[in-house]
Amino acid sequence: MKTIRYILLFIVAFQSNAQISDFKHIDFKKADSIALVCKNEALTNLPKLAYKLTSNLDTDAERFRAIYMWICTNITSDYNLFEKNQRKREKFRNDSLKLQTWNDGFKKDVFRKLLKNKKTICTGYAYILKELSNLANLNCEIIHGYGRTSTTDINKLNSPNHSWNAIKLNGKWYLSDPTWASGLENPASKTLKYEYIKGFFFTNPKLFAINHYPIDQKWTLLDDQAPSFEAFMEAPVIYGKAYRNLTLHSAPKKMHNRINKYEIVTFQYQLQKSVITESIRLEIDDGFDTRSVQPETISIHNQSLTLEHQFNRSGFYDVHLFIGDDLVSTYTFKVKR
Amino acid sequence: MKTIIIMKTQFKFPQKNLAIITLVMVALLAYNPLYAQTEKTISTTQSTKEITVKGSVSDENGPLLGASVSLKGSDVGIIVVNENGAFTFPRALKLGDILVFSFLGYETKEIKIQENTAFLKVMMTSDVVEILGALESNKPYKSKRPKN
Repeated sequence: MKTIRYILLFIVAFQSNAQISDFKHIDFKKADSIALVCKNEALTNLPKLAYKLTSNLDTDAERFRAIYMWICTNITSDYNLFEKNQRKREKFRNDSLKLQTWNDGFKKDVFRKLLKNKKTICTGYAYILKELSNLANLNCEIIHGYGRTSTTDINKLNSPNHSWNAIKLNGKWYLSDPTWASGLENPASKTLKYEYIKGFFFTNPKLFAINHYPIDQKWTLLDDQAPSFEAFMEAPVIYGKAYRNLTLHSAPKKMHNRINKYEIVTFQYQLQKSVITESIRLEIDDGFDTRSVQPETISIHNQSLTLEHQFNRSGFYDVHLFIGDDLVSTYTFKVKR
Repeated sequence: MKTIIIMKTQFKFPQKNLAIITLVMVALLAYNPLYAQTEKTISTTQSTKEITVKGSVSDENGPLLGASVSLKGSDVGIIVVNENGAFTFPRALKLGDILVFSFLGYETKEIKIQENTAFLKVMMTSDVVEILGALESNKPYKSKRPKN
């Protein structure tokens, strides 16, 4: 009995870091090409769409991939819809009855738009991923929670504002975010620049938890390693492109940092693939100018990236990490005299 | 001493298990052929009997135009276009076939075709979903600074 308990413990422990590397042996090219073939399919007959996307694939992981890819490349975000909902939800925040009435009416609007124009907001993406997956006999759930981005008010999140998915494959849960994989906000023109972002598919839960916090903590998939909500609210801002470059963000743990003049700050990450040191830079904004600097030391060992930078002048700085052209993360530093 | 105790307990378990496993195996051996036969009989009736299925689809507000009716595990299906929500499934069905009723925003319903299935009156209920949305952004974060 004891041995079995230990074995179970090990299985559970290993499960907590479920990620894309579990599927190294699977080539998703076939699934992706099936998603491409179904490019102009409508959402009017979901069972038929689910059948077309999955019936020629051999594994559940590939079936889920085809559905996920179809959604990421066929559904677009509706900025107006998003803005309207955000405004009303904030307005009715303390009036659950009015909020429900709003949601009931808005929900119909959302589904009508999704059906007609294939345009939606987060929950629409997550909903359709769940529906199509369920129709293909896959166990997929919608997860509601908090999403932290550079354009949300990062210091206070009053109520849940984002939805994503968990999918169970071979007895293990994995996380995916079809909305954030599907495009980037452009508030200036109120449109979405379309770009599929790799890395939101079977993401390492530890990276995911930096800007996704589920209402029900168990969906972090991190068990006792899950960060507290407070720690989540204090975490740095990471961007969509972080998911293309990192598997882990280790340090600094906080968005806002107070340090002394001449103090050396260490930044630590786990990379998805090796990069050249020249491609790594910090952009430091003091409120007037932004200067681009190479950290004093950059070391890459086994795709583990460590940077060190010394702040020689007092002041208040926004510090952005870039890998190549990709904006990865932001921190602020108050440097005391 | 400890090792001996552990050895003893370990020794006892397999014996019990062995008895159970043997029982199960005997049981399986005894009943398996019987199951196979029943299945065979079912499949023969299935292949002979063809059923034409008609029905109607509605929600709490009346006929639900645009709902889809599909045969599970195939791409055979139709969209409800009749103003009364009525449909006739385009293919004759067999016993045990499953029809899937689906419409974006509604809970999916599955109905298994029975011997006496002829007319299906299907009531769809809308899904309870809280609609949320936060957009990913590549716009760099900018601290609010006091204006000097």
